[in-house]
Amino acid sequence: MLSRVADSLYWMSRYMERCDGMLRMLKINYAASQDDMDEFSWVPALKLFSYMDEEEAGAISKNSRDVLLYMVTAKENSNSVLNIVTKARENGRSVQDHITKEMWQCLNDFYHMMREESISDWLKKDDPITILDTLLKQCTVYFGTTDVTMARGESHAFINLGKFLERGVQTADILDVKFSALDGEYDKAADTTYWKYLLLSISGLELYLKTYRGGFEAANIVEQSVLNGNFPRSIMYSVKNLRQYFERLRSDKNYTSFNEVMFMIGKLESKIKFSTTQTIVNEGLSKFLQETKTDFLEIGNALNKNYFAYS
Amino acid sequence: MHTSELLQKYYVDSSTWDEMYRNDSVREQYRAVVDFLQQLSIDELNKKEELAKRLFMSQGITFTVYSSGEGVEKIFPFDIIPRIITASEWDHIEKGIKQRLKALNLFLKDVYHNQFILKDGVVPVDMVYSCPHYLRVMHQFPVPYDIYVHISGIDLIRNSDGSFYILEDNLRTPSGVSYMLENREITKRIFPDLIPANHVRSVTEYPTILHKNLVSLSPRQIANPTVVLLTPGLYNSAYFEHTTLARLMGVELVEGRDLVVDNHKVFMKTTTGLQQVDVIYRRVDDDFLDPLIFNRGSLLGVSGIMNAYRKGNVAIVNAVGNGVADDKAIYSYVPAMIRYYLNEEPILKNVPTYQLANTEEREYVFKNITNMVVKKTNESGGYGMLMGHAASEEEITKYKAEIIKDPRQFIAQPIISLSSSPCYMNGTLTPRRVDLRPYALCGPDGIEIVPGGLTRVALREGSLVVNSSQGGGSKDTWVLGK
Repeated sequence: MLSRVADSLYWMSRYMERCDGMLRMLKINYAASQDDMDEFSWVPALKLFSYMDEEEAGAISKNSRDVLLYMVTAKENSNSVLNIVTKARENGRSVQDHITKEMWQCLNDFYHMMREESISDWLKKDDPITILDTLLKQCTVYFGTTDVTMARGESHAFINLGKFLERGVQTADILDVKFSALDGEYDKAADTTYWKYLLLSISGLELYLKTYRGGFEAANIVEQSVLNGNFPRSIMYSVKNLRQYFERLRSDKNYTSFNEVMFMIGKLESKIKFSTTQTIVNEGLSKFLQETKTDFLEIGNALNKNYFAYS
Repeated sequence: MHTSELLQKYYVDSSTWDEMYRNDSVREQYRAVVDFLQQLSIDELNKKEELAKRLFMSQGITFTVYSSGEGVEKIFPFDIIPRIITASEWDHIEKGIKQRLKALNLFLKDVYHNQFILKDGVVPVDMVYSCPHYLRVMHQFPVPYDIYVHISGIDLIRNSDGSFYILEDNLRTPSGVSYMLENREITKRIFPDLIPANHVRSVTEYPTILHKNLVSLSPRQIANPTVVLLTPGLYNSAYFEHTTLARLMGVELVEGRDLVVDNHKVFMKTTTGLQQVDVIYRRVDDDFLDPLIFNRGSLLGVSGIMNAYRKGNVAIVNAVGNGVADDKAIYSYVPAMIRYYLNEEPILKNVPTYQLANTEEREYVFKNITNMVVKKTNESGGYGMLMGHAASEEEITKYKAEIIKDPRQFIAQPIISLSSSPCYMNGTLTPRRVDLRPYALCGPDGIEIVPGGLTRVALREGSLVVNSSQGGGSKDTWVLGK
């Protein structure tokens, strides 16, 4: 496969995964803002998904509709859903012959939907959850279409590398922002809604309730969202998939490149596999998450150097 | 209002050949379609038009117009009423195009090798040497199977007596074939069952035949030669066509930056290292193909690709240097070529063409300029044209001055009226002028033409210019099986 094509597939997929994560986050934050506007702040979400600094974020953080407009339809925000979908679609457009026609139509329809004026109008006047759900459904259709129509070849592998790398980074980011807001005093959030919304924003509340009895505890949340290999948004799950899809690229032709990246993924996987909540907390959760993010970043750079460099 | 009323409002100018009407009655080949349309209400027709637009948009059959830093997607206008060609008309067209292509291919081989046709004075030497598309680099280079024109899109028009004329030979990188394919798919969606009921011949073979021909050109005799389609990139207005063809043939779509030449071989940069390329279907013009030989500033091409080509390590389709054969001044010699090489009379007629480099002809044209179309010999897409009947005094004077400066670069033709075909516009059927571009594929096994083509239509009332850049649209084109 052409390096340029691999690069575009990878980024198309990263942008779609980011779009999905962002929409989920916006939806849950909006719901939280309806619970108690005094306690709630949009600042963490804005810091995660936009380039706003503390001050700018603070300025609009009490107005949910302004935040949603900025994050969903603002042209000037390079990380708005509109711009992310446009980038995903442009990447898809340049590799139309490597994704299925169904996938291309799905991306293209999503793009045209995002350009409709009615989305801003809805966000201004109507129930934002309805419109966020509509957009989330477009993401889901994209993921489903990819799963059902794409052949399990090299293209599919690069699409999944982008997807799981992005997801791993996202979960690490969300945990980092949410936990660092507590300054290590995890008992401070005695209010269960804090933990509830954290789990909801990574679609993990139901699993948590089924697994753990007796309320919310920071250690349990770390266990589920970092170590549980069966939870699809955990860091462990992302790394495991990253390794599995990367293994499909094994080939005699680029032995050195493959080994270099495989070593990095394997190292990260082992590190998480042989951690416990206890060792993570002892080492410092924030440090652990920072290191994990750096590892993901370096894997991304290594892929770029060994597989996507074409100019 | 019912559609039958709308058909009664269809007025045809008596000096124009209409594809649907003759003496106020519907021609045989259109009868089934007209009957079908008459069962529909205006509302239903509007809905179908709407559906067609939505399908084009959703499938990304669009081109992007960039304004104020933002891309806006546009669709090429599509008229929902098909243009219908009878079996016997098609038979005539097919024979005529095959004959013409045979002669043009022989001309290209001759003009880059022994030049018999120049020595025998059939085509003037200076006519060939003054053509900017005549390329010295192609001299004495034997292209595989002596085929230069693998893909052509020859434009035909129909005069008021109903006979077909050749308007232009497009032998370089003709575009529009994806619209032939997509327009048919859209018609299937908006008029269910109508196509089989009318015995319309299928056009879907096109990518299969093209792929078969491309594979057969591979210089390496291997089981799976690497065929690629070279595109100028995402921002080219025909990008949609490039991706469609690549997808339908299952070949790699590459840009110049994906390719590299090493030791006179062409490679593409892949995730597993370099992979040798055997056949390149390029949609990049000669000028931009190789910065070492042609336009030095070109970023669309590949340095060294011409040397790889001349060494025979890679096949390039269409061949380089074809522009000398579809030059608008050379055009007038094609009937003579057919007689010279094939000893046959041309089946399809040429539009009479005046060479403005010839003093007598130029004077004649200047005297009668209001009845003439003047064209630049190496422009396409409807650019640089003067339509004598519609131009102002001032435009004519300016244009004349330009001609005097370099008369070789201009030709003139009497204005031909073009046949009209019904179009659905704002709730009524209106006649609009059309042309026809069938796509012919030439491989080692001979010339094949899929029964169909692109009908381009001048959507402005009274306009005779069908190019998409000048407000033209397109129609699905049916060739009937019986």
